[in-house]
Amino acid sequence: MIDLKNLESSIIVIYNEHYLDVFRFLVCFSGNQNDAEDLTQEVFIRVLKSLPNFKTDTNIKTWIFSIAKHVAIDHYRKKKFTAIFKDGFFTRLESKDKKPDEELETTELEHFIHEAISRLKPNHRAVVILRGINEFSVKETAAILQCSESKVKVDYHRALRDLKRKLNVEAGEVFSNAK
Amino acid sequence: MQNEKELMKMIKESHPQHPGKDFIQSTENMLRQKARSMTKTTRVKKYSLASSLILFFAFTFSWLFFFNGSEAVINLSNTIGRDSLSSTALNDKEPIVFIYQTHNVESFIPELEGNNVNKVYSEDINVTSVGKELETALEEREISAIHDDTNISEILVDRNLTFADSYTVSREIIQRALNEHQSIMMLLDIHRDASKKSESTITIDGMDFAKIGLVVSKTTENYEANKAFASRIHEKLEQLYPGLSQGVFEKGVNPKNTYNQDLQENSVLLNIGGVENTFEETYRTADALAEVIKEIIEEY
Repeated sequence: MIDLKNLESSIIVIYNEHYLDVFRFLVCFSGNQNDAEDLTQEVFIRVLKSLPNFKTDTNIKTWIFSIAKHVAIDHYRKKKFTAIFKDGFFTRLESKDKKPDEELETTELEHFIHEAISRLKPNHRAVVILRGINEFSVKETAAILQCSESKVKVDYHRALRDLKRKLNVEAGEVFSNAK
Repeated sequence: MQNEKELMKMIKESHPQHPGKDFIQSTENMLRQKARSMTKTTRVKKYSLASSLILFFAFTFSWLFFFNGSEAVINLSNTIGRDSLSSTALNDKEPIVFIYQTHNVESFIPELEGNNVNKVYSEDINVTSVGKELETALEEREISAIHDDTNISEILVDRNLTFADSYTVSREIIQRALNEHQSIMMLLDIHRDASKKSESTITIDGMDFAKIGLVVSKTTENYEANKAFASRIHEKLEQLYPGLSQGVFEKGVNPKNTYNQDLQENSVLLNIGGVENTFEETYRTADALAEVIKEIIEEY
């Protein structure tokens, strides 16, 4: 499938075949279309750069996703760092950044889901999205995250449990607020 | 609460499932370019390794054979110098500067036979040579440039257009160049003006130079950037060749003309000399200009 001698045509084939899955993973991970697009770009730049060293016997999809997971977690760390500043003085300014139509589109339910996902530990978040959204098998997920299959299973269940609990709590808050 | 499937469905539905269309295409283009430049660098690396090996062997062998002949050794070092020069030229750098002449038939009276004052346009002896000289001067300074020598006047005749449509034709040329070479950073449109010799010439260190005028259109989005670029050229020229530059002229309002400076930042129209200047004088100015452009590029 991939002719490594022709870098240009191989990266284009790879990109067109996988960008949608990668984007979906990243959009769920970051909860934001713009970030997800930037990160998708970053993923394929890294894929291109490491393509000459790609071993043809490994599964290309899990390989791409292991890169995507690194990109996502790097982004999460950076965001966490900048969040320190945002939490203080700048929070008041931040609300202006959102375009009015964007705000309308984000329904309350979506907001809760984004919020709940963003509170998961990054590793748990990756497991949930890979298994639940991208529908990777346990084995593939383990290959992407470079951990054992049993850890994938355990993490997945814990993450789901946390997610459900968070959603329930938040949904409860809405009702109590509504009263 | 919900079962797992429902929950996943909710998560899916709460996120956009497709990236923007523009994004898909622009990312593909970006990857294409990166891949191309990667292939190029590896090719250059391989090539330079191979060529240096060959040179090394050639040198050792010749040294063994011509050990006693000092003349031979000198000849040899000359050929080696030349070879390594040409191998650096092979690194074929992406072009940064694009040079063209919208009014390509603008000519110089002293260069035309018969010195007919009315004859200030020529199909073959014209401002195109000045653009060519600028390209050569830039390449000598290892700045990659493209010079377009399209005979725009001929195209106008073929298509039954008027002189005023020159900018429409040159626009097509620029757009093609910008599409082919995304590395282009500067667009230089070379003209000459109609001023007299006394106004269009300056003597610096005993040599006559054709004066240079920089024209920026006020009616483009790039106006600020182009003006800054032109002013930088003016300042640099003032430092190195005081009096050579006549300054930056802001035009294009009435009649409205963008001079195609909306296509790329760092676009400027240059009047090099007037009708009564010679090629010698304009070439000197082209060399001076190349020097200045080199310095500006190095500042980036």
